[in-house]
Amino acid sequence: MDLTGIFGDYTAFAPIIILLIGALILPAVQFVGKRRTATWAVALVFAIVSLIVNAIMLTDGYTGEALGLYEYDAYSGLMILLFQIVLFLAVLVSNASTETTRLHVGAFYALMTGATVGMMFVAGSTDLLTIFVGVELTSISSYAMVTMKRKDPRAAEAGVKYVIIGGMSTALTIYGISMLYGLTGTTEIAAIAETTQLTGMNWMFAIAIVAMVAGYGFKIAAVPFHMWAPDVYEGAASPVSMFLATGSKKMGLSVFFQIFLVMFVAGTAVSQIAGEEVQYLFAIIAAFTMTVGNIVAIAQNNIKRMLAYSSIAQAGYILIVMAVMSEYALSAGLFHMFTHVFMKGGAFLIVGALICAGIGEKISDYKGLAKRAPFLAVAMMLFLFSLAGIPPLAGFTSKFFLFSSAIGGVDGVTSQWVWLAFIAILNSAISLYYYARVVKAMYIEKGASTEKIKVPKIFTIAIAICVIFVIVLGVYPQLIYDFCETAAGALLGM
Amino acid sequence: MDIPILSLLILIPLIGAIATLFMGGERQKFAKYVAGVFAAITLILSLYVMFATEMGELSESYAWIQTSAITINFALAVDGLSILMVFLTALLTLLVIVFSAEEKDRPNYFHTLVMAMEVGLMGVYLAADYFLFYVMWEITLIPMYFMISWYGGPRRHYAAIKFLIYTHVASLVMLIGIFAMGFESMGMNGGVIDFSFENINALMPQTSEAFQAIVFVLLFFGFMVKMPSVPFHTWLPDAHVEAPTGGSVLLAGVMLKMGSYGIIRVCLECFPAGAEHWQWVIIAIGLISMVYGAYACIAQTDLKKMVAFSSISHMGMVMLGIGCLSDIGITFAVFQMFAHGLISAMLFMVCGFTGHALGTREMPLLGGLAGRMPIFATFMMISFMASLGLPGLVGFWGEFPLVYGFYEFIQANDMLWLILFCLLTLMLTAGYYIWAMQKTLFGPETTKIDLEHVHDISKPEFAALAVLAILVAVFGVWPDAALSFVEPYVDGLVATFGVI
Repeated sequence: MDLTGIFGDYTAFAPIIILLIGALILPAVQFVGKRRTATWAVALVFAIVSLIVNAIMLTDGYTGEALGLYEYDAYSGLMILLFQIVLFLAVLVSNASTETTRLHVGAFYALMTGATVGMMFVAGSTDLLTIFVGVELTSISSYAMVTMKRKDPRAAEAGVKYVIIGGMSTALTIYGISMLYGLTGTTEIAAIAETTQLTGMNWMFAIAIVAMVAGYGFKIAAVPFHMWAPDVYEGAASPVSMFLATGSKKMGLSVFFQIFLVMFVAGTAVSQIAGEEVQYLFAIIAAFTMTVGNIVAIAQNNIKRMLAYSSIAQAGYILIVMAVMSEYALSAGLFHMFTHVFMKGGAFLIVGALICAGIGEKISDYKGLAKRAPFLAVAMMLFLFSLAGIPPLAGFTSKFFLFSSAIGGVDGVTSQWVWLAFIAILNSAISLYYYARVVKAMYIEKGASTEKIKVPKIFTIAIAICVIFVIVLGVYPQLIYDFCETAAGALLGM
Repeated sequence: MDIPILSLLILIPLIGAIATLFMGGERQKFAKYVAGVFAAITLILSLYVMFATEMGELSESYAWIQTSAITINFALAVDGLSILMVFLTALLTLLVIVFSAEEKDRPNYFHTLVMAMEVGLMGVYLAADYFLFYVMWEITLIPMYFMISWYGGPRRHYAAIKFLIYTHVASLVMLIGIFAMGFESMGMNGGVIDFSFENINALMPQTSEAFQAIVFVLLFFGFMVKMPSVPFHTWLPDAHVEAPTGGSVLLAGVMLKMGSYGIIRVCLECFPAGAEHWQWVIIAIGLISMVYGAYACIAQTDLKKMVAFSSISHMGMVMLGIGCLSDIGITFAVFQMFAHGLISAMLFMVCGFTGHALGTREMPLLGGLAGRMPIFATFMMISFMASLGLPGLVGFWGEFPLVYGFYEFIQANDMLWLILFCLLTLMLTAGYYIWAMQKTLFGPETTKIDLEHVHDISKPEFAALAVLAILVAVFGVWPDAALSFVEPYVDGLVATFGVI
């Protein structure tokens, strides 16, 4: 299909334009129509159309540029696809969820769509400033979404925490960017890499890097910048938590890839300007992130908080990419991001569905779930085992690729990051313990009630989609993995 | 088109598992027949593979995952080492289904779990690709976890989670070893990691001794915990004591063998130099497991726990045989794996029966059961005698040639005094079995428990035990029936060591 005929010079922007129009007219749709379901349907249509357009562009191998700041290629296309899937799943269930139907739905969908636009904009950016703007668009929309449950004090607390921490992260980032601009006279990432190659590493450059790592570290909730995540995920409505945990966090990781991988390993910048030091910095952050996430998750009794900590740990696994800095690692990391969307997203959806049915968020509330809601229990078990990396589920396959990237490269075994692989693998084992606790509650312990649980059908559909992908990506990873390889090649220019 | 027999060996139990899964409600009492039929077909197929085909020609390989850096195939193969385990898996699965015919608590799920276990076990023994091998290895964990925690004894939650975490950690360490092998082979054959056994097992012996020594340890650790060897054995007694009889039979009969199978298939085939480097460590672990297991048996009052420790002792013997790195040692280590599979299945059936017929397995509470339960007593005696190595039964061939192999090894190394450990073990083994028999079967009838309503074993239980007893006797007088499969394989393996 020839999309350039429709979008002309702005084809590279096509998926963004569609969603942007959506974000702008959704409040109007609600204002005029005053019907929740209609607004929901419009939002869903925009999400799907944008998803289809992007899927066409991606499979066609479209590459293009717009305004000199934004580039659509295999990498940004893949990331955009991921954000669109997240948006689709989140919007799909929002109308049925009792947590979100009382909100200003027009604004709610507009914010969610707007946040996604920000993420998509980030994915295609090649300039520090456009990345910054995209991240802010997402963050500010997210602050509002988290606090929309106005009656709930937990949401208010989460919102305040999120805003303050977000503000701090923004300040740090812009500080780092300004220093880099001062050093190199440009905010374009590739140009910065080239200039720095000539001037060499100095302490100011190092401070800039550290400030930016810290700033974006807040976004992905890397330890020690993770304290906000559990409170926010707990306080927000489940579809929003799911959106943040799977979408917003992936944006942060994508920013890491786009800035630091491009700066240190891509194309012309192969010679190491700060190579080793930065790699070790990321390796240590990765090790702490996964370890702290997993260990604290053991102590959680609230399932949303447990999932929040587990998603901190998952971000730690993906940070292995930043330590290893190879193309193989990047494609593995991208693939893990995709599988994580389905398994973590699915788990949050189940929590949301059960909240609609009046089941609490405590793990003890899940006792005897296997009898009360067999499908949800099976799905939850699959998601959790997949997160723990039990074959033949998607989480295992992606972890297989990801962890193996720390063991070696093209020349055989390299022992530099073996310790990181060991830590990752021990963490995987720890995580099985707390996931198994939920499985045990659902399948083995007896609950107070044996009454069947009815959840909205639309939730069942969304969860079924996740289940299918968790299984299919486990036994047939190439469905997505081929795209991940192309994307990694495109980003690193190899 | 050829029929993909090896795939069928995995596929048929899988269909059986799915079929029984959906037999809820009224239909659940028929689950055992469905499972039985599928298990029987699998057994017939495995016998067909064993006797009627040229095993080397059965290998299958289908492209599965192909990326620019990794090639993974769904590859299956069978040879002299795996065929005995495949047969044992098929046999014990069927016998477990027969033996557990009277399971009343959600029988459909019980059979689903048994069939799912068979899928994983078959996969482990048939896999010819490291990715597939690892996938199947992990798949066995989940059904066993549920089997212990649904059908187990009072401390089942603790035992199940301990089993799950313990063995999962071990297999993850093994996974790192697999990665290392993959990447090393990538450097050697030009840019693509091909995870097939064929590729990796051919390349690994050429690697440097330091690499072999390190990766050997990673893999060995994974396998050793599964076997399990002292000091990583503590999950086993808990798992066994709490598991239902069927679970115990599969656990001891075939799941522990995954460990020793892995050591021979992966560690020895890939890293002959690594094995020689760690030879004394392997021997030490074998000896310690053997003696400690037997010694711990003496102190047990629970029959099943005693048998669990005896498993550790016997698997230690397998480890010792492997450690000799000689023709006779490895041959009889494999034979011991097979023999122990048959015997431990019997042992656990007998102990499990004691538990549910009398309500207790505590030896101090039992006594004089032979009078009331003569058939049960006969089977118990056969299994105990077989396990302590009575000539004429299969256990003898698992133990004595193995000790002889060890003797040869220590004679060559001037360490003859080590044989004392073997003698000690044999004495202890004879001691705890005969003692246990005397305390439970003979002497005055116990008054500590109510024997009013005690009945002898039922027909299905009799059938399962009788089949095992016959096999124990047949292989006892005709060990060549099994050895003829093992010997050609071991000859080929030992030839790569550069020692006899």
